[in-house]
Amino acid sequence: MSPDDPTPAAEQDPPAATRILEAACELIAAEGIEEVRIARVAQRAGASTSLVHHYFSTREDLLEQALVHSFEQAGDERFGDGDGAGGGDAARGGSALDALAAAIRESLPYPGRQEREWVLWVELWIRAVREPGLRPVAARMYERYRTWMTGLITAGVESGELGADVDVEGAAELAVALLDGAGVRAMLGDPGMDVDDARRLVAAQLAGALGIDPGRLEG
Amino acid sequence: MRADGASEERAAAVSPRPAIDHVRKPQILEAAAAVIIERGLTATRISDVAERAGTSPAAVLYWFETRERLLTAALIADEEDFAERVGERLDRAATATEKLRLLIEATAAESRIDLWVELWARSLHDPVAARDRLRRDDQWRGLLAEVISAGRAAGEFDASVDPDRAALSLAALMDGLSVQATLEDPGLTEEAMASILLDHAEAVVGSSLRIGPAMAGAA
Repeated sequence: MSPDDPTPAAEQDPPAATRILEAACELIAAEGIEEVRIARVAQRAGASTSLVHHYFSTREDLLEQALVHSFEQAGDERFGDGDGAGGGDAARGGSALDALAAAIRESLPYPGRQEREWVLWVELWIRAVREPGLRPVAARMYERYRTWMTGLITAGVESGELGADVDVEGAAELAVALLDGAGVRAMLGDPGMDVDDARRLVAAQLAGALGIDPGRLEG
Repeated sequence: MRADGASEERAAAVSPRPAIDHVRKPQILEAAAAVIIERGLTATRISDVAERAGTSPAAVLYWFETRERLLTAALIADEEDFAERVGERLDRAATATEKLRLLIEATAAESRIDLWVELWARSLHDPVAARDRLRRDDQWRGLLAEVISAGRAAGEFDASVDPDRAALSLAALMDGLSVQATLEDPGLTEEAMASILLDHAEAVVGSSLRIGPAMAGAA
């Protein structure tokens, strides 16, 4: 849990509240947010409906907290707790470009956990479009996402794998927007773009912007 | 909906409810778009759309059997409206370079994609919505590819550019940036979005798009 988790109840009893939130995330991903019912969340979490209501006053409250929980958690794992400086492999002496290639792979809807995160990501888009109250959550995620990419590209400049004249911010923005636009197509089963196509497209376009060999980020 | 105009006329001719013949479909679609954007598809009731359009629920149901059909129809109407406004200027543009720049600037000027995001979310769980999405996306990608192909044939763009691939990557970037614009990311202005897209398109087609007569000015 991140320190700024907005669920006050979770501070009193993290395991139960967290279990409920995770059950809600699983159901949202599997069936769509509109199909999620409190009773099914309770059943899946091994809790009573009154316990769910104890932590979350309404269904809407539960669903929003579930989306927030999913992103805060995914963000902590992927982008790190701090400033999201990233650079994992490079920091450990590996190649910064390999780390960037891995980041592209981690950011697309590959089957399993990443695909589940993507479903929730699109549900967050749609809810944040409608409910201005959720926009800060989305804005925070985008900020961390861009900071993470910026850190990875900066690591490449520092290691000499990328030229010193690279437009770091511009390339990071390109990467984030392309990952969203290509990822959503792959997730929706576009016959013209499966998830590997999406990865190759992002890798090639980002490599072009970074002035490196197109295949270098396909890793 | 232009394509099935004939069948609508037929349907109207045999309708047992000729009294609603005069109800303008565009009015209903405009109202539907407004209500869906405000509340989301699931919370949209036919009666809300009718009220906003100043007509009866029966009149709405006469044209659209379900909310889902209404969403797709509203999205199509919205796009046809866009295509009509841009199409006129597109016809006047002399070169593929101007046309591509026009499409990019128009996309940046009208970057909100509320209805699209709604259709994406529905497409996750509904094959009919997924087909509708794909059909609309194919048309948009097709238009971009057509312009790029013409530019290649005319020697304006790099001879080695693959129009379909170029269109796909440009469309993906447009979607990714539009999501951020729709979520009202304060960092992404219309100018910034147009500039990112132009940079990318220039890299993809291997030619400058920033020359020639100024095309500025929104539709």
